[in-house]
Amino acid sequence: MDKNELLNKIRENVVTGMDDKIRDACRQGLDAGIPAEDILDKALLKGMNEVGDLFSKGEYFIPELLVAERAMKAGIAVLEPELVKKPSKSLGKIVIGTVAGDLHDIGKNLAAIMISAAGFEVVDLGTDVSAEKFVQAAKQNSARAVGLSALLTTTMINMAPIIKALRKAGFKGLIIIGGAPITQGYADNIGADFYASDAVDGARKLKLAVTRQ
Amino acid sequence: MTIKPFKQGADFEHLRKVLMRETTKGPVPILELFVDVDVMAEITGMDIPIDKATEFIRNFGWSNDPEVVLAGSRIMDLSLAFSQAMGYDYVTLTLLMPLPRTQSQLRENPQQGGKIRAWQNEHRGIITTRKEFEEFPWPATEDIEIFPLDYAASKMPPGMKVVSFWTGIFEDLKLIMGIENMAIKSIKEPDLLNDILERLTILAEVGVGMAAAHPATGAVLYADDMGFNTGTMLSPKFMREYVIPRHKRIADACHRHGKPFIFHSCGHVDALMRDLIEVVGIDARHSFQDNIEPVEKVYRKYHDEISIVGGMDVDLLARGTPEQVRKRTRQILEACAPSGGYCMGTGNSVTNYCKIENYYAMLDETRKWNEEHV
Repeated sequence: MDKNELLNKIRENVVTGMDDKIRDACRQGLDAGIPAEDILDKALLKGMNEVGDLFSKGEYFIPELLVAERAMKAGIAVLEPELVKKPSKSLGKIVIGTVAGDLHDIGKNLAAIMISAAGFEVVDLGTDVSAEKFVQAAKQNSARAVGLSALLTTTMINMAPIIKALRKAGFKGLIIIGGAPITQGYADNIGADFYASDAVDGARKLKLAVTRQ
Repeated sequence: MTIKPFKQGADFEHLRKVLMRETTKGPVPILELFVDVDVMAEITGMDIPIDKATEFIRNFGWSNDPEVVLAGSRIMDLSLAFSQAMGYDYVTLTLLMPLPRTQSQLRENPQQGGKIRAWQNEHRGIITTRKEFEEFPWPATEDIEIFPLDYAASKMPPGMKVVSFWTGIFEDLKLIMGIENMAIKSIKEPDLLNDILERLTILAEVGVGMAAAHPATGAVLYADDMGFNTGTMLSPKFMREYVIPRHKRIADACHRHGKPFIFHSCGHVDALMRDLIEVVGIDARHSFQDNIEPVEKVYRKYHDEISIVGGMDVDLLARGTPEQVRKRTRQILEACAPSGGYCMGTGNSVTNYCKIENYYAMLDETRKWNEEHV
C-alpha cells in the first residue's frame, strides 16, 4: 500500500468510525515513513471534517459523529509520541463551556469535537461554568474565541453576564453561542458574534471568522 | 394576580372531536404535555413538597423514599384540582411501572429564586452491555399499576377524562442506556438496542392498552423525543427499522379501544412525519418550537391528516411579556384555528421557569379568540 492509500485508509476508518482498525492503520502509516502531522492533517482531521459535512447534509447523525470522534482519538493516541516532538500547527485556542446553572454537555462536547477537527485547540471548561472561569481561561489561553453553550431558556440568560464580563475584562476575541433555545436574534441581543445551530455549524463559522481576521 | 379559568366545566368530548378532526366548530381547546408541580401548586394554593414531588415525577415513581412516594400520591389530587381550577377538559395522569431508569439529579436554579429542575445523566446508562441487559430487572406486564386511573375515575367532575401519559420506548431506551452510550451502541451493537426496544414495546403495548381500555381515559399521550434542533438523534433509517414499527404496535394498542393517540416529540423530526402519519397512524402531534419549525408551518403541512397541538414557544413564555405572548397567541390562532384540528398549548410543557402571567396571557387570549369566533 502506498502512502496515499494508507492515508486514505485511515481517513476512511474515521468516517466509518472504526476505532478498532485505525490504530493498526496509523502504525502502518508511521512505519511507512508518513510524518505524524501528515497523518493527523491529511487523514484524521480530514476524515472528521468529512463526517461534519455528512452531518450537515443530513446523511450522518449524532452516533456517527461520536464513533468517528472515538476513531480519531484512537488514531491520535498512536501518533501522540511523534506529535509531541514538534509543536502543532493550530488555528488558535478556543475556550468552551456550558454556562453557569446548566449541566448539559452533549451538544458542547460535540462542538468541541468539531472545533478540534477544524484545526483549533479546544480548552473545555466543562459544565456549570461561571463568568469568572470563562474570563480567567480566555486570558490564560489567549483564546481566539469563547464558545458558550446552554440547553435551557433559564440558563441561556446566564450567557449575557458572561459576555459582559469577558468584554469588561478586555477580551477582544470572538464569542459564539449555541444550544436548543438559542437564535441569531438572541445572539445579536446579548452581544455575541455568532449563533451556531449545531456543532458542525459552529466549527464552520468559527473557522471562517478566524481565517478572515 | 388573579387567574381566571380558561372556561367553566370540562367538555372532553369536544376536545376529542378536535383531536380526531371531526369538527371545525366550537372553541379552540387547550392541551398540555404536562404542567410542573410547582406551577400547579402555585395556582391551586395546594401545599405539596415540591422537591419530593418533582423527584417522584422525574424518576417515574421509582423511589424507596417514603416522603417521595407520599408526595407522589398527592400529585393526583393536585392535578385534578389544577385541571378543574383552570378549566381543562382533562387531567393528565400516568400508569406506574417499576422500570429502573437512570436517576435524575435535582438542582436549584438560582436564577429562579431556587426553583428546582431535574437533570438527566446523559452519559452513563444502566444497561451498557449484553450481560447488563440480561441481568436487568425487567418489570412484568402484571407490575403495571392502573390505580391512578381508578382514582381519577372516582374524583373527576362530569365531562372530564384522563389523558393517559406514557413514556415512549425511544425515550426509555435513552433513559436506560444514557444518550451517549445509546448513540454509540446504535452503530456498534444495534442488536442490543433492538432487544431493549422489544422489551420496552411489550410493556408499552400492555400499558397503553390498559390505559386506553379504561373508561376514565379519553386519549393517550405518548411522549417520545426523537429529535434535536436540526435533525433526528439517530438516522431516520435506524428509526424506521427499529422504532417506527414498534410505535405502530403501541398506537394500535390504543386504537383498539377507539381512543385518540397523541404523539409528542421534541426536536426536528420532519424526516419521520410521513412515517408517524402513514405507518404509526398518529391522530395528533404535539410540541413545536419557533427556532426549529413554527407551529403554523407544521399545521399547513399536516392538518389535513392529523391534528396539531401546542406550539407556543416555551422561551417566549419564559422571557417574553404578556403583550408579546398575546400577540403570538393571535398569530397562531389566526393560522391554525379556522380550519379546526388545533389545540392551543405550549410547545413543550408549562415549566416552572415560565412566567405565570405569560401562561395566563396565552390562555386568556385563546379564551377571547373563542368568544369572538364561536
